[in-house]
Amino acid sequence: MLKSMKWILTFSVILLIIASKSFGEQLPKITFTPHWLPQAQFAGYYVAEKMGFYTEEGIDVNIVHPSASTNAIELLASGESDIISLFLITAINAKQQGADIVNIAQMSQNSALMFISKKEKQINKLSDLNKKKIGVWESGFGEVGEEMVRSNNLTVEWVPILSSINMFLVGGIDAMTAMSFNEYYQIINSGLNEDELNIFSFADYGYNIPEDGLYCQNKTILNKQNELRKFVKATLKGWEYAKEHKTETLDIVLEIMKREHIATNRSHQSWMLNKVLELIEPGSKNVKKGELSEPDFYKTQSILINGKYVENKIDFNDFYKPISGN
Amino acid sequence: MKLNINKSLASRIVFYVLIFCILLFIISLSVIYTNSKKQLEAMTYKNAEALANNTVLKAEQILGPITKIANNYKWILESSELTCDSIYALTKRIVENNPEILGAAIAFEPFYFKEQGRYFSPYSFREKGTIKTIQLGNSNYEYFAMDWYQIPVAIQQPYWTEPYFDTGGGNALMTTYSMPFYKTTNGTKKIAGIITIDLALDWFTDIVSSVKILETGYASVISKNGTFITHPKKEWIMNESIFSVASELNNPELREIGREMQKGKTDFVTSTLRGVERKMYFTPLPSSGWTMAVIFPESEMYLPLRKITLTLIIIIGIGLFLLTFIISKIVSKQLSPLSLFANSTHQVAGGNFDAQLPDIKTKDEMKDLHDSFVLMQHDLKKYINNLKSTTSAKEKIESELRIAREIQMGMIPKIFPPFPNLPEIDLYAMMEPAKEVGGDLYDFFLIDEKHLCFAIGDVSGKGVPASLFMAITRTLLRTIAPKQHSPREIVKALNQSLSQGNESSMFVTFFLGIIDIENGHLRYANAGHNPPAIIHAGGDVELFETSKDIPIGLFENYDFNESDRYLAKDDRIFLYTDGITEAENWEQELYSEQRLIDTLASLKTLVPIEIVMSVAKDVVVHVNDNLQSDDLTMMCIIYSGKNS
Repeated sequence: MLKSMKWILTFSVILLIIASKSFGEQLPKITFTPHWLPQAQFAGYYVAEKMGFYTEEGIDVNIVHPSASTNAIELLASGESDIISLFLITAINAKQQGADIVNIAQMSQNSALMFISKKEKQINKLSDLNKKKIGVWESGFGEVGEEMVRSNNLTVEWVPILSSINMFLVGGIDAMTAMSFNEYYQIINSGLNEDELNIFSFADYGYNIPEDGLYCQNKTILNKQNELRKFVKATLKGWEYAKEHKTETLDIVLEIMKREHIATNRSHQSWMLNKVLELIEPGSKNVKKGELSEPDFYKTQSILINGKYVENKIDFNDFYKPISGN
Repeated sequence: MKLNINKSLASRIVFYVLIFCILLFIISLSVIYTNSKKQLEAMTYKNAEALANNTVLKAEQILGPITKIANNYKWILESSELTCDSIYALTKRIVENNPEILGAAIAFEPFYFKEQGRYFSPYSFREKGTIKTIQLGNSNYEYFAMDWYQIPVAIQQPYWTEPYFDTGGGNALMTTYSMPFYKTTNGTKKIAGIITIDLALDWFTDIVSSVKILETGYASVISKNGTFITHPKKEWIMNESIFSVASELNNPELREIGREMQKGKTDFVTSTLRGVERKMYFTPLPSSGWTMAVIFPESEMYLPLRKITLTLIIIIGIGLFLLTFIISKIVSKQLSPLSLFANSTHQVAGGNFDAQLPDIKTKDEMKDLHDSFVLMQHDLKKYINNLKSTTSAKEKIESELRIAREIQMGMIPKIFPPFPNLPEIDLYAMMEPAKEVGGDLYDFFLIDEKHLCFAIGDVSGKGVPASLFMAITRTLLRTIAPKQHSPREIVKALNQSLSQGNESSMFVTFFLGIIDIENGHLRYANAGHNPPAIIHAGGDVELFETSKDIPIGLFENYDFNESDRYLAKDDRIFLYTDGITEAENWEQELYSEQRLIDTLASLKTLVPIEIVMSVAKDVVVHVNDNLQSDDLTMMCIIYSGKNS
């Protein structure tokens, strides 16, 4: 009697598994767009997707990267993406410009931004930047640097650059804005030694403002709240996994980059992964992992106002509608 | 296998020759190896250098003219006022006239031509066999922020961009040469724009990829940033840099090499990459500032040498084996007579002097040995024959001597106790010649019922002559004694007889005494003999006075003295020859009169036979195996008469 019960139970479980597989295609679909091309900066999402964390949560996530012609905000606006990642300052600016955008989780808690210059340029303290040429990305992220320069009463010549470090290497500029996880290492990886560089980390000058966060439209929160929660939960799990399994994570990242024909190498992505994992930790900030700190929000908004990028203030609660992943 | 080189001469010779040869080969091989290694190194270095330099030269033949083309058009742009349309024509002409060029642009500074606005950058490029011309700049293509434009403007110098993959999706590796051109307005020279020339790098990859050195050595070109432009590992191209590889391999040395390359240096270096020691020659490409490197594993450099050395070792090994075989054969053959000689020697030793010797046909040392053996056989035979006759002669003499000894011994009384019927007298004597026959003598006999005559003598010299003289003396004594009753007369008569016709001038020391048995009166004459000892019944030992007379046989008419004394009851007279007192041990110490007196003193209560035997034993103890050099003769008489 007991034996036949056991058989029935086993059979039912097998049926359930088959059923869940065949109905898998009917899982709610979520399209996610990171704000840049594939790299270890977004490792948590790739790991969650590759390891099946999203599927486990019951959502079918499709990661779509922005192209040269269409950025993440445009993809969100057009409805092609449900969730996008953005720098906090970019997101506040976009919302001020009228974009339908809400922060549902804050992934990065710290600033990776820095000014970097060759020691031979004799820029040993921040004030030495006065009347110097500083490279800044044409695509953005210059606001915090500008605020730092302005608050120190310095006058600099901003030189727009694309994503390359060559202007810096040939000495065409005196300093450049850099990410600790990206350009800084690219410079090291081009033969300059750490002791040949002067670093001005924004975080050390009172500008440790959060960066990568997750955004969606207001209506998505209403319509797909459940899916969003699942997405955030699985993403956090992805980051945890990446932290514990760096080699495997790098394999996943490098495979995607290779598929997208993006030039890179393992040592660079390894550096980036380690740095990004550090940025996620709240440290002394009074928030949990994945949450946006209110003071950070207002500080970031004030940078935009000071820089005259925006005029009006928006309320924290209008901007941040946390979807708890827990 | 245990090599027992002590067993045979042949194996020992082979062993030493082999050791010497092996040492010789090791030394020669080491010298050859070291020298060849150095030569090989120098050769490979030269080869690597030549390969790199040739490849650089080939690359420069294409890269060099590009800079000249740009320079020519720069001159046109700077020296004439061209219209916008003519600029389009100009870019087209650059591409048309230079088949190796993929595209060319002339990009102007913002608002250079007011009517064109911010962006004006005519660009001609090849597409599907035709040349197309477009205007590049627009708000989506801010060329002012691009490396190819921005950097030459900033550094006011021509610039080769870091290679990049063609955005058209062709996946072709390209580079762009950019050169600023200027316009002078109102006396100030200002940058007007940039001329660019696009160059595909497939030809370049082909040239570099075709470079092979040793087994797996290759050439690689590294950009100014350290990025691999060409590399046998396709996935490394434009992905990895010498610095990322250095970081991945945790090899700071490689990073330093990369930095040296960036400085445009030429060098030959060694670095361990993935556990393999690699040599690298690098030199810059002058026009672009890139670096050409020729890399090969160090071990491969020595591969041919190792092959040759291995072959040599195998050949030498086989050679040594054959050498061992041949030498042992030759040596064995050459030395084979030795064992035959040994056989013959055994036979000779066994007494066969005619033993067969090996047949030696050579005229070398072996022949000498053979001749020596023949001579030895001959001599041995002769010697043995001599020995045989000598031995038989000696045996004859020995047998005669034995007979003579028996005769001699037969001449002296040897029956003890000699006078069993005379309780007053007991006597014991012994004589031990040093050789077969001796020159000592003793005798005793009763002259009449009341008188015992006794004598001891020592003939000068030893052996047969002395024994003959002794025999004469003894015979004469027996003849003379019964006729004379005085010891002096007996000795005198003996002297007279012996002295007559004594050609050989032999003489005898002689002591003769006559005891009156009834009263113990002893009369005696001493012709130069050792004074006998008297052991008094009380225990004192006393020597007779020393003789004042000469030995008998020297002067015919010599008159001898006679002395007398009375013996007390149990007095013991001990007579001896100088063989006793002068018996020598190994240290050449004499037995001496004193020791004799001491010994006798300890024997005071013993009977004559015991006294004589004890002294004889004590002399043996003293001599301690030393050769007996003189005859030993002793006589002891105890008087147990009435006298007290």
